[in-house]
Amino acid sequence: MEDTFGEDDYFGEDEHIPAHEVLQTLEDAWLNEKFCPDLLPSQDSYVEAMMEQIQQMEDNLTKLKKTDFRVEVHHMELARIRYIITSYLRTRIEKIEQNTAFILEQETTRSPENPHLSEGELNYAREFLALQENHQKQLVLKHVPPPFQDFMSTQQSLVPNLRSHIFLRAKKDVNGVVIEGDRDTRDEEVDLEENSQHIMQYKPIANLIHDGSVQLI
Amino acid sequence: MDPSEVEFIAEKELVSIVPNFTNSEVHLISGDVGPFRAGLPVNVPIWMALNLRQRQKCRIIAPDWLDVEKLEALKEEEKSNRFFTKMPSEHYMVVAQLLLSAVDDDIPRVEEIRMAVKDLWDVRISKLRSSVDTFIKTGGSHARLDYLTTMEINSVRPLLPHALDFIDRLQKASEGASRRDMASQD
Repeated sequence: MEDTFGEDDYFGEDEHIPAHEVLQTLEDAWLNEKFCPDLLPSQDSYVEAMMEQIQQMEDNLTKLKKTDFRVEVHHMELARIRYIITSYLRTRIEKIEQNTAFILEQETTRSPENPHLSEGELNYAREFLALQENHQKQLVLKHVPPPFQDFMSTQQSLVPNLRSHIFLRAKKDVNGVVIEGDRDTRDEEVDLEENSQHIMQYKPIANLIHDGSVQLI
Repeated sequence: MDPSEVEFIAEKELVSIVPNFTNSEVHLISGDVGPFRAGLPVNVPIWMALNLRQRQKCRIIAPDWLDVEKLEALKEEEKSNRFFTKMPSEHYMVVAQLLLSAVDDDIPRVEEIRMAVKDLWDVRISKLRSSVDTFIKTGGSHARLDYLTTMEINSVRPLLPHALDFIDRLQKASEGASRRDMASQD
């Protein structure tokens, strides 16, 4: 059989992104999500595209002879990609479970064109919050005097610490990142050179992750 | 991050192998690899090299920095430099470990190379520890970490960022407290 793998490197009707770039984007997103205290915008379109690619590859693999040396290599790669995707999604779910109310509240302030949660994640978050509320009502709230029976979701949810410190690598030159000083020190300005690595607070560079200027490491 | 995940990332690095079979290019999702010609070196990702080697389909060629003299030289340079020096590979430690355990009989002086890599690692880690110490003592909240490799960064996580977070929290709390003090004095 002629080798037909990787022939259709392109996804969707109008989005022409080669498969290896989709994979790289997912890998970057995976590491960013892992190290970021806040929930980043979902890359679910990339996840879906990659799942399709995996499916296609698996279909192709069934056509190959079992003894072909490529079969095992392709299976290994698919396993690696699956790991990245599941670890990425699991990291997001963990954050959603930890900061449910906070994340849902933030989501309502965003425009519908720019959601951070995928549809599935949004449903999950809502249901998770409802379950928590129900659980607390059953367990405690209905047994305490009426003035204290309100379930105050936002007050029970943890809020991510945006001042926490992260490691990053600059993917391009960024000048004048302002690090807030405290009482004794003044604000400090830092230039991030391309390929330089830093440790600093998440807050000043939060928007640099969104536009891809820095990568968390 | 779990060290095995650092290893997972490092396995993407390319390494040279000499296959003992011939085949056209393999179109992986992450890009094309090959073509393979028996006896001719070709670059493949480490995870693939290890797999082929396990199935006795290739010989792995150690990267040229994986050599006792070269590693000694790197160590001397590391010692004489105040800052971290650039490593030949972003994952030198992991790559060395993976390859050395796989190619036992392909490379001579494996034990010596292993020691040299460990020495280099030790020099760098002790430098890292003392810089972390000075960094915390000077009360900074930003530092440049050029040329630190992923595994090295991972070795000070979560301790360093958590320590800084904690210092930050204490500072904020004391700011609030002193403001209250001033208010009560008025």
